[in-house]
Amino acid sequence: MSENKERIVLDVAYQPQVRAKTDTKRIMLDVIIGLLPAVVVAVIQFGWYPLVVIASSIASCVFFEWLYRKLMKKDCSIGDLSAVVTGLLLALVLPPSAPWWLPVIGAAFAIVVVKQLYGGIGKNFLNPALAGRAFLLASYALLMGIWTVPKSLAGSVDAVTMATPLSYLYSGAAMPEYYSVGKLLIGSRAGCIGEISSLAVIVGGLYLLVRKVISWRIPVSTIGTVAVLTLIFGHEGYGNLDWMVYNLLSGGLLLGAFFMATDYATSPVTLNGQLLYGVGVGALTVLIRYFGGFPEGITYAILIMNLCTWAIDKGFRRHQFGVSREDIAAEKAAKKAAKEAAK
Amino acid sequence: MSHTFKGGVHPSYMKAPDVPMTVIAPPPQVIIPMAQHIGAPCIPTVKVGDYVTMGQVVGENPAPVSAPVHASVSGKVVAVEKRHHPLGDMIMSVVIENDYQDTPCTDMKPLTAEQLRDPDAILQRIREAGVVGMGGAMFPTAFKIRGGIGKVDKLIINGAECEPYLNGDHLTMKRYPEQLLKGIELVRIASGLDKAYYGIETNKMDAIRILRSHYPENYGIEIVEEDVKYPQGAEKMQVKAVTGREVKPGGLPSGVGCNVVSTRTAYAVYQACYEGKPVIERIVTVAGSALKAPVNGLTRVGTPFGYLAEQCGGFVKTPRKIVLGGPMMGICATSFDAPTIKGTAGVLFFTEEEDRDVEKPSCIRCGKCITVCPMNLEPVFMYMYYSKGDYENMAKYHITDCFECGSCSFNCPARMPLTHAFKTAKLMFQAKAVKEKMQAEAKEAKK
Repeated sequence: MSENKERIVLDVAYQPQVRAKTDTKRIMLDVIIGLLPAVVVAVIQFGWYPLVVIASSIASCVFFEWLYRKLMKKDCSIGDLSAVVTGLLLALVLPPSAPWWLPVIGAAFAIVVVKQLYGGIGKNFLNPALAGRAFLLASYALLMGIWTVPKSLAGSVDAVTMATPLSYLYSGAAMPEYYSVGKLLIGSRAGCIGEISSLAVIVGGLYLLVRKVISWRIPVSTIGTVAVLTLIFGHEGYGNLDWMVYNLLSGGLLLGAFFMATDYATSPVTLNGQLLYGVGVGALTVLIRYFGGFPEGITYAILIMNLCTWAIDKGFRRHQFGVSREDIAAEKAAKKAAKEAAK
Repeated sequence: MSHTFKGGVHPSYMKAPDVPMTVIAPPPQVIIPMAQHIGAPCIPTVKVGDYVTMGQVVGENPAPVSAPVHASVSGKVVAVEKRHHPLGDMIMSVVIENDYQDTPCTDMKPLTAEQLRDPDAILQRIREAGVVGMGGAMFPTAFKIRGGIGKVDKLIINGAECEPYLNGDHLTMKRYPEQLLKGIELVRIASGLDKAYYGIETNKMDAIRILRSHYPENYGIEIVEEDVKYPQGAEKMQVKAVTGREVKPGGLPSGVGCNVVSTRTAYAVYQACYEGKPVIERIVTVAGSALKAPVNGLTRVGTPFGYLAEQCGGFVKTPRKIVLGGPMMGICATSFDAPTIKGTAGVLFFTEEEDRDVEKPSCIRCGKCITVCPMNLEPVFMYMYYSKGDYENMAKYHITDCFECGSCSFNCPARMPLTHAFKTAKLMFQAKAVKEKMQAEAKEAKK
């Protein structure tokens, strides 16, 4: 025993000596799991083709991440699954008819320009998937606006493509009968691959909340702001409540609020800052939907708020433990008094 | 009202209070370091060849912030020299060869009934018996209580035992409820107060029930049930949970009228006053995946770690580190030869199994460190400014408020070495302050 002891080399590590189980990879895996219901609905409504888009997007994100880090002689980081998440999210905000090469271009922009040039995971200041989508919107506007008819509506619509519910809201035209609230919930509508079923997105979002991957602050403040603003301002031809519900369920708001706005690297870490950020995303979304040049506003709303994250975090520090408001006021008063005395 | 604080984490507790309390057989040699407290180290009062009895003083220092150390076995002094200290350095120690007689020292007698009501007599005895903060901080208890008289209006006894693995306080509550309550009463009398608040986490309801069945109100004690959350047992969190007060930055609990004394310390006060027994043993939780048979063992002060492991059936796996205290705030011992001291609540032999560090961690900015920090700090930014060596912003983000509870590092999915960085940063600030002071003095001298 004592001889054995001599040969044991002891480590000296700093506290804590134990760590929680959840690591970066597990969090990314949870996000992937949270997105699966939306993927299933996409397959049900659009057939197998969306899986080709998703596979191409994920594969190219992982490939570009691997390639960039290899060329730059940095550690390989594809094991943390963050590139997979970016790829999946990028695919889910593309139209179901997107050609397979479209996400490859989006992925190159998202991974190389937006994420890796700024240092990789945690250091980018724009959401890579959304920035990728914005890049594609600007470069391939036509391809990004072809909306396949979902299988459940094949009987009601005699065409290959159709308008999304959001475009009805945008033009102010009355919503067709087949876009009932129930249909919007289950995903019987045209739209991006991952956004069509509000229910699937909410289920995935709740999974993230339960797993504590995200907190309630950003999704609740984002969705709440959109709800309040659309309820107050309404739109002619719509009852205010109907208008609000359609605004919540029609576009990519829920997918954005639960999965995009909550992106760690690009959203505030301070608790009150997260609330303000969410309110900003919601307000900008409504603003763009009312007055913007596109039907959908969530993409740009999130990207704009991404740019404010740093400033928000600076402005929403928590109170220092042991220092009350009275203490701060007293200190200020003392400083002022000292200044006056100096005069 | 729920008694708790903001933030905190829930580590897997790995508690085993049902492992029967055993008595660790005294080792053939005990090593009594002269520094088992914060303050002036003791000076040995014995020399090689002396025969000492169990409980005899072997080192003391008349300085006010100090506590004497006693022989934990009877026998012959075989060495008075620098030996491995559990906290790292080589420290002057008295090594005693056990004669296995446990011949008791008769210098210290139980206090009389009259003395048990006299704050001065109690405080003097607490000092003589070498009682220090046995929760791990090892601040001399007599000095702490004396310093609080007149300033402190709330006495809090710490029964949270929020660190994983440790069971010593829990077992003390269950096995010696009456003695414990009497010990708390003594601390209360010595503090000159009518009431003491005993904060216990509700994962120890069995102990709370036993304590309540002994009528704590008769001793002037109110039990406060606290939510189960780490670091509930930190002084500042105890003060917050029990009184709602927040200790000032850089201040002590006494700054907001509170004193916090740990469970095991109160029990040591009981032993010192009612039994005339100095601090020479305590319950040590010996655990970790390397060990064959973990125990909660009544252990003599000065028992080497290697010997402790042998008493637990030896190793089933190769240990990689020896952790002293709980795994959240415990630091690593560097040698199997170092002994347990008064503040050693646990000795954990960890293998690779407990280790989840990664080689090149990368922050993902998830902000989970912010939600768990009990001090309202923002570790993610503190770490960023630390990495840049930006002193101004480190100070702006109150890096010196961190008391190294480890919650942020524990919860970090990217496994960033946050607590380690802040500990280093605090040392850097200290060094900077010393340097600036010296420069200022040099300037003065030139003039």
